[in-house]
Amino acid sequence: MKQKFMALMMALAMVMTAFTGCSSSTESTSKDTTTENTASEPTAAETEESTPDTVYKVAMICDSSIADGGWGAACYNAMVAAAEKYGFETQYTDGLTSADFASSLRSYADLGFSLIFAPGNQYTDAVVEVAADYPEVSFALLNGTVEADNIVSLLPDAEQIGYMAGALAGLMSKTNQIGFIGGMELDTTKAKLASYEAAAKAVNPNIQVVSAYANSFSDSAKGKEIADSMVTASDVDVMFGDASAVDSGAREALANYEGRYDIGQPSDLLATQESAVVISSVVTDNATLIGLCMEDVKAGTFGNKTIYGNLSNGTLSVGTFSDAVPAEIQTQYLELVDKIKEGTFIQ
Amino acid sequence: MEVFLNWNFIQELILSTIRMATPILIVALAELYSERAGMVNIGLDGIMAFGALIGFLVSYSTGQPLLGVLAGAVGGIVINSVYAFCTIHLGAEQIVYGMAINIFAPAIASFLYKIKFGISSSLAQATLMQEMPIPVLSSIPVIGKLLFSHTPIIYLAYLLVPLSYVFFSKTKAGLNYKAVGEFPKAAETMGIPVVRTKYLACMICGALAGIGGAYLTTCYISTYSDGVVSGRGFIALSAVIFGRWMPGGVLLAALLFGFTDALQIRLQVLNSSTPYQLLAMIPYLCTLFVLAFFGIKKAGPAANGRPYFREER
Repeated sequence: MKQKFMALMMALAMVMTAFTGCSSSTESTSKDTTTENTASEPTAAETEESTPDTVYKVAMICDSSIADGGWGAACYNAMVAAAEKYGFETQYTDGLTSADFASSLRSYADLGFSLIFAPGNQYTDAVVEVAADYPEVSFALLNGTVEADNIVSLLPDAEQIGYMAGALAGLMSKTNQIGFIGGMELDTTKAKLASYEAAAKAVNPNIQVVSAYANSFSDSAKGKEIADSMVTASDVDVMFGDASAVDSGAREALANYEGRYDIGQPSDLLATQESAVVISSVVTDNATLIGLCMEDVKAGTFGNKTIYGNLSNGTLSVGTFSDAVPAEIQTQYLELVDKIKEGTFIQ
Repeated sequence: MEVFLNWNFIQELILSTIRMATPILIVALAELYSERAGMVNIGLDGIMAFGALIGFLVSYSTGQPLLGVLAGAVGGIVINSVYAFCTIHLGAEQIVYGMAINIFAPAIASFLYKIKFGISSSLAQATLMQEMPIPVLSSIPVIGKLLFSHTPIIYLAYLLVPLSYVFFSKTKAGLNYKAVGEFPKAAETMGIPVVRTKYLACMICGALAGIGGAYLTTCYISTYSDGVVSGRGFIALSAVIFGRWMPGGVLLAALLFGFTDALQIRLQVLNSSTPYQLLAMIPYLCTLFVLAFFGIKKAGPAANGRPYFREER
């Protein structure tokens, strides 16, 4: 009897901790139960939209952690910033494996969320599948390439991001060897790598680009090993990465050497932290992009478009420079960025 | 080809192998101690994640990475005691509870990290454990730098291999310990405390797996992020099978994983045009090949994974 009781208590404790670990945005928990009830009817979304005091809710799913100090954190903070501006409640689920994308999207759609934010190209299939079953729910797909009645793709220009990073790397490299770390071989990552290489070679024809994939967005130890091997085996001195937490591991390896630098993305790293390694960042303002979606959701005009993020509309910008970048290189670089903006950098 | 025969390249490759093999080795030894007492614990990944967080937190707040590693060991024991109680005392299915640990321990770790640090665009940084070159030995040319200038945890890991060998094969206590995994009933009739040994096994397993996790965040990199363990627990699990439940075999398996992983990174860096998926497969292909080559004779403890009920006939 005593044993059974103990087992029950332990099982209970485990279940509770598992739940608290998954989603912990406190602001909407109190209202969850009420909206859940109304949303179980398929017509709920329509009635919600017609009432003036509708509570708009946005949810985000993420395969890495939202506290990864990279991609996940940048996207989550962007969603929260936009949600504050437009009066949305937020919720998230992180640490998902690809098998859980669709079921997680489905449960948010069932819970009556008006907008679901999927921050990455890798969610495309899951979003398309679920969106077809929930015509009343809006889906925003970052780095996406699909459009539908209830899907809007947010597409920061991967080519421009690659050009910006590549131009700076080309200007800064002294060994003529620059590196690139990818997480997974996504379309946007491939595009960034290709334009990174093209831009660096346009600036300095002798540049060689070395690239490697970590096959993960969270294995920072592997990032450190990759950066280490790039420096020791290929004498790489400027790096750019598209792999969130893996990049922070890479930066840690670079810090052990003299004169090795990294270019950050998608947030302005030097604005919030000191680093001897980061020379600048290619900043993507995801908050503005998601904000545009929220505007559309409220106006009822959501769907069938792709919102591009580029230098011209201010969604992409150059981050803070470190002291390691000499003034003349900064001006030279900013001139190049102007060319990228006008589309005259590489035809 | 001359790139590969360059001494500097080989030296970096060996150092990288040692660094990458160490967490797998420590955790594989954890599993070895567990399975030798008949406790299959597939929750290694979860215990590592928790150990990584606790180790990081303590190292972050005290500035003492060594304390962090100790705390990681304690954290591992705490998490694994849930598994121990349910499987030993309540006779629950070991695989199911191991899986439960894998689900709930990383979730707790992630939750605690978010409470402490919030969600910012940069990761909190702790101090990294300093390398401790062994006097005299580290000044031997060539070998000194490769083998004797590492962090203390690396020495501990490699020292544990011969110690475990001696324990399991040459001491009475070790033979008694193994008897618990082979035929607990007979062991009990010979006066060996089966239940106590199983609990001890779980504590050793928790401590070592916790150290393996803490190694990642105190000796390898100075930050914690969710998913930092990245399946190393499962690789360690296979290293035990691969190493045929022998300390020496486990060491070889861990080194093989570490070596092939270090090699595939360098191949990627040196041949950026080769599809990375092909190179990333190398560690796993090697495992398949070696397993097929050596064959899988039944070598594990006979009563591995079975619950033990003292009064059952």
